[in-house]
Parts: sequence; structure tokens; C-alpha cells
Amino acid sequence: MRAWLSLASFLGGIVLLTSACATSEEWSEWRGHTTHFASGTHGMFSLRNNKDGSNPRVARTDVDAARAENWWGKAITVSPEQIFQN
Amino acid sequence: MSRYVLAARGGLLAALLLFGLLVNGMTSAVQVEAAPADALMPIEKYTTEKAKGLANTHRLRLIEFSEQIYNCMPWLAVYPGRLGFPRYKDSADDERYLSMWIWVDQREDPVFAALPQERRVSAMFSRYGVDMLRRMAALSDVVDDSDVAGLSVVLSWLKPGTTRPGQQAVNETFALFIDKATAADFLAKRVAAEEFVSRAKFNLFDGETLVGRVRLQVWEDSFNSTYKLSNYQPPKGAQCQ
Repeated sequence: MRAWLSLASFLGGIVLLTSACATSEEWSEWRGHTTHFASGTHGMFSLRNNKDGSNPRVARTDVDAARAENWWGKAITVSPEQIFQN
Repeated sequence: MSRYVLAARGGLLAALLLFGLLVNGMTSAVQVEAAPADALMPIEKYTTEKAKGLANTHRLRLIEFSEQIYNCMPWLAVYPGRLGFPRYKDSADDERYLSMWIWVDQREDPVFAALPQERRVSAMFSRYGVDMLRRMAALSDVVDDSDVAGLSVVLSWLKPGTTRPGQQAVNETFALFIDKATAADFLAKRVAAEEFVSRAKFNLFDGETLVGRVRLQVWEDSFNSTYKLSNYQPPKGAQCQ
């Protein structure tokens, strides 16, 4: 019985350790991850001004337009009343 | 009725339908995009004189603040009417927080999606929430107002995996409230992150569903204060630091 308990604890420990390692890998990967701006990846950004893509300029209105094109429809979001009182 | 009249009516109906779809699409697209002044909570929506006074006194300062976010951090958007001085939902008294609700424009990302929900919250708060608290705390004339009890930042982002065709997207929303003394001490590193978390009131929402208080970890992340969108030109006159 004691041997079974020891084996179970040992295996449980291994599972915990391996899952912790995987998580910290994902964690550190996210911390170094800095290229995730959705509208910023829009192709139009490299096409403005010159057709060959040189000297591109991105204005705030371009970001608005890219955001509008990339939009997924109205997302389900908590209502302000669930967070605040005015 | 002639064939031509029927065809014309059909064309008109199709045009109206298309127009309706376009208008609907445009309003959906701009749901979180507010011009800088529109980000401020309208004064008439406040329910107490104290809040109306704060909104009146600090209106211009908040417009400047909103302009800076709009012009200099295009990866963020302040929800219309969600920059102001609300109080916490369950607050029995009239404690007012300088608060802003921000949408983070983030694409589907496998690294982010692989994180458990509470880790996504920690990642977003560490990356954007702390920096926005720092920026709000820097509005010393507003924060030093004796009618301001604390700071609040609300962050929303698309829940990974919910932007597939035929599915309605879902936002995850994290709302945090902290008294201004603790906020100042945390930002000045006089209070550790764990203590900051234990003193803060916060909740996570999955879409419209309250998840509640999650295990929040906070660490240094300089992304929001250092990121530059390549080739981005802020509008003339905007001073971005």
C-alpha cells in the first residue's frame, strides 16, 4: 500500500513538474512576443505613398480603416453596469 | 405591373438592403473607436454632484490624455464614454475613480491562445494595465484632487479562438480598481506586486459572464511604453513620448 502511494506521489510530481516547465516556456515566449497588433499587420500599410512600398507612411486614419476592415462584428462584451456605477 | 417596374423595385430593395448592411457594418466597426473627446463620459450621465464636479474640473486634461492615447498608441482604443470618474459597482459610498476602459487591438495569436485564461489576464494587465495606471497617475492635478479615491483600468481583448467565421466573437474583460496611495507606492516600487494585487479589487469577465477574481500575476513589461508601429506618423502637433 505504502509502495503504491509513493509511486502515485512520484508520478504526480513528474506530471506537475513537466506541466510547470511547459507553462513557463509559453510564459517566457509571450513576454518576448511583441508583434501582435492586429491592425498593424494590415497589408495596406506597406502600400501607401509609393507603389513599390518604399517610403511608406501610416496615418491614424489608416489604422482606423484597417481596423474597420478587420472587424469581426460586434463582440460579446460585459456591460458597463456590471463593472461601474455612474 | 410591368416587368420593368418589378425589376426597378427589386433593384431598389437590393440597394436598400446593401446600404443597410454597409451602415450596420460601419457601426459595428466603430463600436470601440472613439474620437478623443468622445472617449469622455458625458457629464449628464453622472449621478452625483461630486462626479459631475470632477468631470467639469478635469475635462480638458482628460481630453488631452485621450488625444495622446489616440494619436500615439493606435494599437489601443478607448471605449466611447469610458474615460471618466465612475465608482465601483458594489460601492456603497461615492468613492470616485479615475478610470478608463481600453480595447486592445490584438490579432489571433497561438502563443497567447496557449496561455490559460488567468495567465492571459496577467499578460494583458502587466503589458497594458500597469502602463496605463502609470500614465493616469502622472496626471497629478487630477489624481491629487481630494475627490478622486483611486485609479481604475479596464481592459478588453478578443478571446482567442472566437473570431472564426460564423461565430460571434467574444471579448475577455478585466476590470481593476486600486486606491491611489497603493497605486503610487506600487508604481514607485515601494509596494510589491503581490501586495498590490491583494489590495486591488478586480474581476474578469468572459463575454458577459462574470468569472470573478482570478490569480493575477504582475511583472515588468515595457512593451506599451516602447513599442513603435513601423512607419506610423502621428497627426501633426501630436507629442508622442
